[in-house]
Amino acid sequence: MAQGTAEPAIELAGVQHSYGTAPVLRGLDLSVQRGEIYALLGGNGAGKSTTLSALLGFIAPSSGSVRVCGIDPVSDPRGARAQMAYVPENVSLYDHLTARENIAYFLALAGHDTGASVIEPALGAVGLDSQAWDRRMSGFSKGMRQKVAIALALARDVPVLLLDEPTSGLDPRAVLEFNGLLDTARERQVAVLMVTHDLVSAVDIADRIGFLTAGRIEEEQQAGEGARFDLNALHDRYAGTGQAI
Amino acid sequence: MSSVGLIARDEWRALLRNRAGLLASGLLVLLVLVASFTSLERRVAIEADRERYQASVDEQFDQQPDRHPHRMVHYGQFVFRPIAPLAFFDTGVDSYTGNTIFLEGHRQNSANFAEARQSSLLMRFGQLTPAFVLQTLAPLLLIFLGFASISRERERGTLRLMAAQGVAARQVMQGKLLAHGVIALVIGLPAFLVLGGFAATGAASWAAVLPMIGGYAAWLLLWAVLGVILSAVLRRSRDVLAVLIGLWMVGVILLPRALPVAAEARTQLDTNIETEIALHREVAEIGDSHDPDDPYFNDFRQRVLDEYGVESVEDLPVQYAGLVSIEGERLTTGIYADAAERSRAREDAQNALVHDFSLISPLIAIRQLSMTLAGSDLAAHYDFLQQTEAFRYDFVQRLNRMQAELIPGIGGEDPRISAEYWQDIPRFHYQAPSPFDRPSDLIWPAAVLLGWLAALSVLAVWASRRLERNLR
Repeated sequence: MAQGTAEPAIELAGVQHSYGTAPVLRGLDLSVQRGEIYALLGGNGAGKSTTLSALLGFIAPSSGSVRVCGIDPVSDPRGARAQMAYVPENVSLYDHLTARENIAYFLALAGHDTGASVIEPALGAVGLDSQAWDRRMSGFSKGMRQKVAIALALARDVPVLLLDEPTSGLDPRAVLEFNGLLDTARERQVAVLMVTHDLVSAVDIADRIGFLTAGRIEEEQQAGEGARFDLNALHDRYAGTGQAI
Repeated sequence: MSSVGLIARDEWRALLRNRAGLLASGLLVLLVLVASFTSLERRVAIEADRERYQASVDEQFDQQPDRHPHRMVHYGQFVFRPIAPLAFFDTGVDSYTGNTIFLEGHRQNSANFAEARQSSLLMRFGQLTPAFVLQTLAPLLLIFLGFASISRERERGTLRLMAAQGVAARQVMQGKLLAHGVIALVIGLPAFLVLGGFAATGAASWAAVLPMIGGYAAWLLLWAVLGVILSAVLRRSRDVLAVLIGLWMVGVILLPRALPVAAEARTQLDTNIETEIALHREVAEIGDSHDPDDPYFNDFRQRVLDEYGVESVEDLPVQYAGLVSIEGERLTTGIYADAAERSRAREDAQNALVHDFSLISPLIAIRQLSMTLAGSDLAAHYDFLQQTEAFRYDFVQRLNRMQAELIPGIGGEDPRISAEYWQDIPRFHYQAPSPFDRPSDLIWPAAVLLGWLAALSVLAVWASRRLERNLR
């Protein structure tokens, strides 16, 4: 963990945003350092996806500031997105393309090199069977699709990784492999913001866990080795508020 | 490669890997080629028949023996309208208007032997011509290929993923428009090649073929662009498909068929029987040349006697009956011409109403442009009628003059003149009008099509801005 070194790779300060008259983010403060894995937990409607949208520049918050590697994603979305890789929750990608073609296509859209020397190590790193690399994704399971999306994020080789429910749909073995990947990312000084419902997985891999309730971080805890969590108490606390985790 | 190029290339790749899309596109291309071939064959067969029949009736006319010229006025002549070279591509109104007229004295006959009247009921729903395929079926294929172009990306989440790679919604829009614009042109390509090939052989002029290709390209692009825009604006693919199919049904099927009915209700044409009765009534009102007390013909006789400076018709150097025939033909021709003019004015009013709606249904615009350039529009038919009427009048009056001038020198109870006289009468040679003689018939539909494309371009800019806002 390389927390508290220099300028945070991800920083949200006092961010507020509403959809119509319904406030979603109410003064959200959150920062993630390079080499840190931050798990953002919260129930449905807590504002997790809106937080990612703010970082990606898909929405302009009504107040507060958002910075990705020092870049404002609202005023310079292309510049900010060049610093980030994003793995959406429901990864579909293109069924008519192979895993390799999918990664090449999105890398090309991002202006990256699409050579085999970039794609194959990424596909190898996520543990996707090499026989599947050149198969069309129409026959892929959810877990395989997730791996391809993560491979795309790795191939981008950017300082910030945004993951939306990354372990959803993965089998236990794939979750372990995925956690290994995040360890590698941490070693590469990548800042990872992981939005999840999965408290157990978050405790296993994250350096810090933030509990998002009604648009703000209600509680933040250090995780990682040595940290102790009363999972049942956490579950009861957040489930009891109607913000089921 | 730019993001726009990458997005377009992937859209083409998706189409090439989509068996249903490829099959449908292949079938449409096949349909265009089959329609071109059969339509061309039909044109060749009709032209061969026309030439054969024209030669046959000309020969029979020439073989008429020495006769009284008025017998030849009633023997008359059949004339056949040659089919315009590009009418194989778009038969226009040719199938309904008829292409054969019997020319005789005292009356204007209408054109006969329209293909639709000679054929089965199925024919009346439209021939399988390349124009029909491009106008009616190609938009349907473009709808199926393009309706999900952007909505599918949104539904799958790939639109957000693209945006996360730094791609702007504007670039997505441009890429999809480029992809489906090219697809539209590729779908039209076989027809364009057929037209180009026809022009290259000299069978049709490039001056007509190039704007026709341009018009159909605009028509197809219009549907491709509309599909992409609606796909960007509406959230669900099934909604996009429903709206596009609805627009196709109204714009391509319903309006072009309902409008003529509305136009007919607003400006009614007389039936053939009503027209005939009215004409007979008007002709009867002129007077009866056989009635010695008829005021009009008594005046006419007096004017003739004064002109020749004689006291009675028996003293005239020409046959008085021949002069009456000349005068009678002049009068009846005027009555028929006035009636035709009134009828045409009503038809023009009907057509004007239909054409006004081309702003809503650009099919009307492309149909007008196509028919005009193909030489199969209503104006070309009117031009044929005018040329045949001018010829008929000259033909009948020549014979009437022969009667007036030659018969007095022959005498006898059954005076006849030599067959050589009518063998020397010039034959009808149809001069096909140039579509550019009526620039408004081309400029208005072209302006409508370009106006639609311009309006859709503005809409595409708005849709891409809306798409950018809706990425959240």
